[in-house]
Amino acid sequence: MPVVTPSLALIIFVVGAAAGSLGALLGLGGGVFLVPFLNLVLGFPFSAAAAISLTTVIATSSSVSAGRAGKHLINMKLGMLLEVATAAGSLLGGVTAQLIAQSLLQKLFGIVAALVALIMLSRLRRRNVILDPAADPGVLGGRFYEAESRGMVTYRVKRLPLAVAASFVAGNVSSLLGIGGGIIKVPILNAWCGIPLRAAAATSAFMIGVTATAGAIIYYGHGQLEPALAAAAVLGVQVGSWGGLRFGATASSKWLKILMAALLFIVSAMMFLRGGR
Amino acid sequence: MSADRDAEGPPLERWVGLVLRIGVMASSACLTVGLVLVLISGGEGGAAGILLRTGIIVLLVTPVARVVVSTAQYIIVRDWTFAVLTTIVLVELMASVVAAFFLNRRI
Repeated sequence: MPVVTPSLALIIFVVGAAAGSLGALLGLGGGVFLVPFLNLVLGFPFSAAAAISLTTVIATSSSVSAGRAGKHLINMKLGMLLEVATAAGSLLGGVTAQLIAQSLLQKLFGIVAALVALIMLSRLRRRNVILDPAADPGVLGGRFYEAESRGMVTYRVKRLPLAVAASFVAGNVSSLLGIGGGIIKVPILNAWCGIPLRAAAATSAFMIGVTATAGAIIYYGHGQLEPALAAAAVLGVQVGSWGGLRFGATASSKWLKILMAALLFIVSAMMFLRGGR
Repeated sequence: MSADRDAEGPPLERWVGLVLRIGVMASSACLTVGLVLVLISGGEGGAAGILLRTGIIVLLVTPVARVVVSTAQYIIVRDWTFAVLTTIVLVELMASVVAAFFLNRRI
């Protein structure tokens, strides 16, 4: 367990703020940047890095969803249905993380980081499909007002088993590696399950709080969560994502995505090198 | 009446939003004061440690409370499918508490 010093807490706060604002700008959680920094740069055990990152995932989910609740963008029914799968995956991942070696977790992180980079590069020109507003959304579908197109977007959920499977995998990866897992399920919900991107992202952000909690409880119970450092990271990420969301509209997200994809490939390679020792 | 309702969203969304907001504010307040105390005193003992631990526990309990509120709301409107689904999520969260204790004993 790392020793808490004021300078370490300050570093983690600043890194948390950077990860949080990048996460908000890119539409993914900051965990994919926070975990490698804590593990590779500061030399924390992988489990301590994942535990801290999971607490920031929970905080981000709660604060973002608190602001969005009541605006119909979060599909609560779909979210709560898929949470059955993400929480199961997360529970399994949290237990598995205690039983397998750090080097294997690092290699897994390397694979996921490369995958996230590829997903990011493949979605540089993402676009929302506007569906017929008169369509019947069914039990699980939804309807929300989209400011950009100034219209109601109505959608039905297709291929529910695929959404459930993707949620299970996302939950599993989330607590194994300390990331939110949104980057895994949002593209699938959007591309194959008929859910508009903004609704998919908001619903995923809503779900990852419960998902990460199932994993974080295990890390906390096992004494792998250092409270002062988690506090520094949580507060940093809160400040960072607040800033990222405020100023996000002005940033050129295309070049930022390319830059971050490159960074993730480097992270991936470093995780493989470290894990291979 | 219906316009008012719509502005704030349906009851479930209102309750969920309220629980999340209270949870975030309470845990952020505890974590901020706790962290400042650690930085001033240089240790995690006493009030600083208690505040930090409380902040983390409130953070972890917030999503659980949000699920409890949802289950209650689905029971009130007699939507049994979703009452059962959210109860399963609660059971899974409880299982992770059990798993945490079990792992502690074994390893």
